[in-house]
Amino acid sequence: MMRRWIFPILAGGLVALGAYQATLLATPYALMYAALQKIGGAGEVNRFAFSQMATADNQPIVRPSPDLSYSTCVFDLSKGPVLVDVMPVPGRYWSVSIFDARTDVAAVRSDRDTQGGPARLALMRQGQKAPSGYEPVLLGYDRGLALIRILLANPSEFPVVDAIRRKSTCKQLPTSN
Amino acid sequence: MKAWHRYAITIALALAGGTAFAVNQVRGGLNDGRVSNGPWETGKSFGTVDASALTRAKVALSGLMALPAKEAMYFTATRDSDGRALDGRCTYDVRGGKLDGRWWSVTLYEGEGWLVKNAANRWSVPASAVVADTQGKWAFTVSPDAQAGSWLPTGSVKTFDLTLRLYHPSTDVIKNPEKGSLPVIERKGCA
Repeated sequence: MMRRWIFPILAGGLVALGAYQATLLATPYALMYAALQKIGGAGEVNRFAFSQMATADNQPIVRPSPDLSYSTCVFDLSKGPVLVDVMPVPGRYWSVSIFDARTDVAAVRSDRDTQGGPARLALMRQGQKAPSGYEPVLLGYDRGLALIRILLANPSEFPVVDAIRRKSTCKQLPTSN
Repeated sequence: MKAWHRYAITIALALAGGTAFAVNQVRGGLNDGRVSNGPWETGKSFGTVDASALTRAKVALSGLMALPAKEAMYFTATRDSDGRALDGRCTYDVRGGKLDGRWWSVTLYEGEGWLVKNAANRWSVPASAVVADTQGKWAFTVSPDAQAGSWLPTGSVKTFDLTLRLYHPSTDVIKNPEKGSLPVIERKGCA
């Protein structure tokens, strides 16, 4: 009687391990997909959306910082590279980070890296070419998120910072042919 | 019972069990590769390709889009310096000195990481909001009620956590986050 269950139980053990690992591996993609839908849902892809400061009533992602101004661009590289130009905000911490569909950081550039200058990134898949003047960032997936963080010492600085950050762009590289 | 019935039963149970165990582990908080420093905890592999499948899943759940350590380190406290769970009905002194990085802020969250509604509309204390003495020492109060000086409201939630963000931390802190000097969280009393 028990012998009849040995192989089904062994098979079940393997399936349980597989289901465990598959769930762990799928979780970041699923959560990133949900976040991209939530963040990008309101706007176009390959374009920056300039969020208001996070408050208890405005929390687009989990664990938002109320001291950071966030600008987000949901990108899609399926039709070619996407160029990200970040306008520097003098005298404060700012950074642009590129997250892939698995939530990994593909690149981060901050004011310390650019020594106060602008950040110019070309987000690309293998085999695509970056235009001159842009730093290539290779991605393993078509979709992901570019996120600019600018640190405010005081909420009253928001209007000044907001005017500068709106000069940052995220755009599909125009095809030359 | 036919053989395929036995397989169907064990495989169905295995699928449900394996998935449920994974979800439970992911929701169980960030303990994978964690280091402690007083009441604060951090991880060394947020947002990097080095992260294990479990760490990546946990970060995706509770800290999506986190920065890598060279940009910012995230220290989270769910307990005070005496090891008691942080309670939004209690008042705490948070006291520290110069932190080894370019800038810091402490934010109060509830649940998986949500800002708490409060009448003062204040959710964090940045470095610029505290007054340091000649030795660089500073303090602020975490409390459900308005306080003199720098005050971070709890909104009287049952439990909360404090997240200390340290931007452009020094290489010493990145290498040995368990050794740097971080603020103490002292409970003063509860309503």
